[in-house]
Amino acid sequence: MGTTKARTLRVAAVMVAIGSLAVSAQQAGAPQVTFQDVRDGLKDPTRWLTYGGDYGSQRHSPLTQITPQNVTRLVPQWAFQTDTLGKFEATPIVLDGVIYITGPEDLAWAIDARTGRQIWRYKRDLPNGLIVCCGRVNRGFAVMGDRLLKTTLDAHIVAISMKSGALLWDTEMENFKNGYSGTPAPLAFKDKVVAGMAGAEYGVRGFLDAYDIQTGKRVWRFHTTAGPEDPGHRTWQGQDAKAWEHGGGSTWTTGSYDPELNLVFWGTGNAGPDYYGDLREGDNLYTASIVALDGDTGKLRWHYQFTPHDVWDWDSTQVPVLADVTIGGQLRKAVLFANRNGFFYALERATGKLIYGKPFIQTSWAKEIRPDGRPILLTGSLPSEQGTKVCPDASGGTNWMSPSFDPALGLLFVTSRDACGTFFNWQDEYKPGEGFRGGAVSRLEEFHHAGLRAIDVTTGERRWEFPYSAQSWAGVLSTASGLVFAGSSGNFMAFDAKSGKNLWHYQTGSALYAGATTYMLDGRQYVLMPSGTTVTAFALPEATPAGGR
Amino acid sequence: MKHNWPIPVVAALWLIAQAVVLTQAPGANPQTAGAGRAETRPTKNPLEGNRDAIRTGGAMFRTRCAGCHGPDARGDRGPDLTGLWASGVTDDRIFDTVRKGVPGSEMPGADPLRVPDREIWQVLAYARTLAESTPPQAFSGTPENGERIFQKTCRTCHMVNGTGGELGPDLSRIGSGRPRAALTKKIRTPSDKIRPGYEPVTLVLRSGQRIRAVKKNEDEFSIQVMDMRQRVQGYLKADLTEVVADKQSVMPAYGPDQLSPGDLDDLLSYLSTLRGPDSARR
Repeated sequence: MGTTKARTLRVAAVMVAIGSLAVSAQQAGAPQVTFQDVRDGLKDPTRWLTYGGDYGSQRHSPLTQITPQNVTRLVPQWAFQTDTLGKFEATPIVLDGVIYITGPEDLAWAIDARTGRQIWRYKRDLPNGLIVCCGRVNRGFAVMGDRLLKTTLDAHIVAISMKSGALLWDTEMENFKNGYSGTPAPLAFKDKVVAGMAGAEYGVRGFLDAYDIQTGKRVWRFHTTAGPEDPGHRTWQGQDAKAWEHGGGSTWTTGSYDPELNLVFWGTGNAGPDYYGDLREGDNLYTASIVALDGDTGKLRWHYQFTPHDVWDWDSTQVPVLADVTIGGQLRKAVLFANRNGFFYALERATGKLIYGKPFIQTSWAKEIRPDGRPILLTGSLPSEQGTKVCPDASGGTNWMSPSFDPALGLLFVTSRDACGTFFNWQDEYKPGEGFRGGAVSRLEEFHHAGLRAIDVTTGERRWEFPYSAQSWAGVLSTASGLVFAGSSGNFMAFDAKSGKNLWHYQTGSALYAGATTYMLDGRQYVLMPSGTTVTAFALPEATPAGGR
Repeated sequence: MKHNWPIPVVAALWLIAQAVVLTQAPGANPQTAGAGRAETRPTKNPLEGNRDAIRTGGAMFRTRCAGCHGPDARGDRGPDLTGLWASGVTDDRIFDTVRKGVPGSEMPGADPLRVPDREIWQVLAYARTLAESTPPQAFSGTPENGERIFQKTCRTCHMVNGTGGELGPDLSRIGSGRPRAALTKKIRTPSDKIRPGYEPVTLVLRSGQRIRAVKKNEDEFSIQVMDMRQRVQGYLKADLTEVVADKQSVMPAYGPDQLSPGDLDDLLSYLSTLRGPDSARR
């Protein structure tokens, strides 16, 4: 009996062991991130799985441990430094206590979110002769399964193992020698990853691509300058019959995705050459626009052009924020868009129809946006050989810095700048890989003003502003506890979301070119801020044990 | 582990490293647009006299050069360019200066990724149309007397070749092409245009004490200044009741009553001799 019992126990033990192994093996093989995980956005507050926090790019966290009342006690917990030149413009991915972040020069790291210690480092061997207009930067990873996806400065897209940083596949998007580069964070959904590119200052033809996450094979491409097969092609007229072939329209900031509509929303860049429009008369679709593309096919569902015939370098490569908002007493599924041209727009998400467009900074190029969506231009606002003063300047009312949206307050928080410029233009000639701007801009310093602004999305009017001492390139994060995190002049700051009152700041020592993220770990809420080549994690002090020091 | 390399090996490695650095320099990469074409670049401006180039170059000059060299190229913060050609400077040398900039000065180089060779030639084609046929007139004053005036009046606040004060800008290179009119203006009416880094401010402390200073830096919560004792110091704005942006420069205006036209000539003549650190004094 005893022997039988012992044998039974041994068999049971072996079976348990086999079962455990099977479970372990199953867990080891299970993908770390599913489409549903990403779709859930920030519902699981230990995670941050897309550039914008969720598919709607609201950058609004449900976390409430850090509040307007206790934020003054926020202190650094650790710092991670890249030991390189350059700067962070990236938003990290956060998953299971690990931070995955991309940096300058196509470097990337996995970092222990508890301590800031490096787990692995990825470095791409970049070729000589890169053509990058505005910094050798990268804005982050997309994640799906066990894979991290990123664009590269030499215009490739790569998949990297989350576990080791090993390269899994590498696909060329375009030949970098012709002025193409990759800087935006891709956006992953289902089995695809959508990636944008940069290069409109070098006469590229802009596009948005989708790739198979498993194989790296391109699934679809949408060109942002309409070719002969596209109805929008008639909007390319003028001196150069082939203007559309090097008409710009890059896609260098991450867009958003609506899983219900299966639509990708993405902003497109300036037309090229930037300031000389005679080569390309017409509206120049689909530059300086937002396009809504079918996620499976890349087919254009609708477009809205913010700046028809852009001659001011006003890329519409800001982040489209998807939100359900009440406007005029009606619940609208909207796309909210604070544009570089100085206007704030609300569009119908399913159709692209304009709900309203109102200036959120000082503008001088358009009187207003007509109900049909077209701007009413003011005379004397076109660039010229003698120079024309226009507001905003080429860097615009806002730029790539991400806004955030607080649904409970109905406020969109955006880093804003008021600056006018004198726009000069001249005839230019396209040569592959060479600058193709057709002009330049001098900034008029006397009009310079910058600040963090809260826009009431029900009306498009400004609710509050916190003025900055200098222009800022920092993105914004808000939390359900009523806080907004942003900053300027190296100061990482927290504000009261309702009033805009500054509640806390910390001088990071370098300019801010990215936005903050937040996550829960071991029962503590962390706020992560990249600055220069350093990432700093902040949290409230750990609770002191009763009777402790 | 520390390696003790034999000296010849180190020398050889150094030479190889230099060769690599040279071949990797932007100018040596044939793929870099517009750069590194010194070997094929013409020595004379191929676009000189070309009407289209002059028109385009004029727009480029107004946006990229006029801020420092003045809209008529007669100089402001930067040198007068109208006498360059009459002084015998070649197109090729001017091109190089535009491409590479002037180290140690505010003149930046033109990034080959942003400014192809063609655009530099276009700017030079335009600038040539503004050129004088004779070199600029030399300063006529007595530099020795000018130096005496400088030592007595200016050196408390301005440094030259490592000696003097630092409340105002270092003037060690002020003579390298800065035109007479611009220098006169700085002396007679210094508040007309004040450079960043020297903007006058008055800080009002909670005690009521007022501190006059020039601003070195500022953010939302603090300000960094040099006070009139030439001491650099930072202040928290929370400790101040007011930060006044003054209109008057901390440099006094030296009108004809304070500095006669003759003394001004002498001072300008002395300043025109200042072309950078004096190697003999190092």
